[in-house]
Amino acid sequence: MNIQQSSKLPFEELIAESFEGVTGDWHHELCKRGLQNYVDVGWPGAKNESWKYTNLNKLGSHSFSIAKDYSTAIPEDMIIPLDCPRLVLVNGVFNSELSDQKLLPEGIALTPLANLSDYQKTFFDDLRLGKEIKYALPLASLNTAMFSDALVLELAEGTELSSPIHIISIGSGSQITFAPRIVVNVGKGAKLDVIESHVGASSGMYFSNSVVQFNLQDGAKVGHYKLQNESNESFHISLTKVLIKERAFYDNFTISLGGILSRNEIQAHITGSGAECCVNGTYLGAGSQHIDNTTLIEHIAEGSCSREVFKGVLGDRARGVFQGKILVHPDAQKTDGYQMNRAMLLSDQAEINSKPELEIYADDVRCSHGATVGELEEEHIFYLRARGIDRERARRMLIGAYISDAIDEIRNTGIRSSIQGVAENWLKHNLYEKK
Amino acid sequence: MALLSIKNLHATVGGKEILKGINLELGPGEIHAVMGPNGSGKSTLSYVLAGREGYDVAKGEIVFKDKNLLDLEADERANEGIFLAFQYPVEVPGVVGMTFLREAYNAKLRYSGHKEADAMEFLKFVRSRAKTLNMSDEMLKRAVNVGFSGGEKKRNEILQMAVLEPELAILDETDSGLDIDALKLVSEGVNKLRSENRSMLIITHYQRLLNYIQPDHVHVLAHGKIQRSGGKELALELEANGYAEFSGEAA
Repeated sequence: MNIQQSSKLPFEELIAESFEGVTGDWHHELCKRGLQNYVDVGWPGAKNESWKYTNLNKLGSHSFSIAKDYSTAIPEDMIIPLDCPRLVLVNGVFNSELSDQKLLPEGIALTPLANLSDYQKTFFDDLRLGKEIKYALPLASLNTAMFSDALVLELAEGTELSSPIHIISIGSGSQITFAPRIVVNVGKGAKLDVIESHVGASSGMYFSNSVVQFNLQDGAKVGHYKLQNESNESFHISLTKVLIKERAFYDNFTISLGGILSRNEIQAHITGSGAECCVNGTYLGAGSQHIDNTTLIEHIAEGSCSREVFKGVLGDRARGVFQGKILVHPDAQKTDGYQMNRAMLLSDQAEINSKPELEIYADDVRCSHGATVGELEEEHIFYLRARGIDRERARRMLIGAYISDAIDEIRNTGIRSSIQGVAENWLKHNLYEKK
Repeated sequence: MALLSIKNLHATVGGKEILKGINLELGPGEIHAVMGPNGSGKSTLSYVLAGREGYDVAKGEIVFKDKNLLDLEADERANEGIFLAFQYPVEVPGVVGMTFLREAYNAKLRYSGHKEADAMEFLKFVRSRAKTLNMSDEMLKRAVNVGFSGGEKKRNEILQMAVLEPELAILDETDSGLDIDALKLVSEGVNKLRSENRSMLIITHYQRLLNYIQPDHVHVLAHGKIQRSGGKELALELEANGYAEFSGEAA
């Protein structure tokens, strides 16, 4: 007997309210399925293995309302600074005034939720790998139950875009919740870089619960670079779901440094042979920030490779979680997988929970993983000081170098240096000049 | 007037007394070799001079350019003109060689009240110095010492010395781990830096380095004290007889 059955789950009442804003039978049915999945699995607690290290009690007990205001300005100093077409969501809803949809190059199509084709609607099919509880995605189901708009981008077969597209999700207001939903479908042999910035318009506290999907058709090449820079007291939960077909190449990087509690969950499914998948990132935490990076890389087809490097720096009482799983199916022979999580703790009270996992059902594979936790090494500091560099400057150089080592994984040089700048700026304001 | 004057220096590491009354004076432009068996305190002396934490001076004084060295932090000593070439140069992942050199060079300029160097001029300057040590641009673009061979690490130390132009260079076992070709290259690099404005303290176990870098004075360090001092012929005598003479407890 579950006593919780009689009481409502967090957000359940808000879901009912958000249903009123939904138009169209298909969207309505989808929301209902999302609600059903959410109710079936319930709010994640300590017993849910996947959420063991990230406690959502505070989020679940907080009282939010549905965002109603969809206009604001882009906080330029918070996003990744790059000159390219922007597509902007304010509280999860597409804002055409702030967006450059007219500047989108030929070959890329943006379709409003109300006009989706039957094929495009299939992108919204169940996100779970299976019905078992271990595959449950409670917060992604909550997104499906609550999203009021979606950004659906499609790049036509063979189109190669030289300029990136910048998707910006802005949280605007206080004590509100919203569910950004983004789908990017990249046609056969097409090439695209997408930047995703999640930011707050003001210091207001909100909860952004996003689902982002990337489908890479055969031979597609996609760079996907995400900045999580939500306002200080906010919550950011996201699922990035990636399907990678034959010989496709997916290069992902997540830099997470905002919000009070965040989780970047990435599930990449390699369904085609000869595909390559990079899932990298860095996380920077100070104060009492909690940053969770949870990844699953699933090798389903033969002869694919994946590489995963995460590096974090945590100061004050910040807490990091890294859960990385590589799953190799019986048919995925010749898989080459590598995973590494390194964390640098700058204070006695900072903490990292690291859980690397390999689950391999094929016999001819090469997979390795590792995790390290360390502090700044006195030996390094002394070497720099013996060359005249003072202690504080030496410390900054070494922390900066630690992070840039991870950022160097980004293949696009322009985006790499922009993200480097964002990281340096954060370090300066949160670790160096904050006393 | 001595450039460096060490008087009755006692130093401890982890509570254990390693240096037990060192007296040493280096004049401007002089090259002194400190030789001794393993565990005699040679490396401790170099770390005490460089100001490494954990190497505590219990007694005595060190005066460098009329300043009490013990009042200065490690980085201040470097900026005053002391350079320690490490026995085991540290690998510093992520810090690019060129950036490291520029930071060090600019730190010294700022310390002496000058403005920082022009980036392009500095690049040219470093390249010309690197060329004489047979170091490629590629090595300067890599992280400091990461993946370098033993010889490359030592050359990198000498490059830093050539760029920072110290008044006192302490070469701690610079010959260790070098094959004969690398030893020649490194020694040539050091000899090019000999000048009347630069003193050197060469710390070594073996005499062979002194074939290439000829010292003005040789001291034997054993049991935490200078046991004997002499000219360069003392090194040859040690090579022939070993340190057996000094192996007993000092009187």
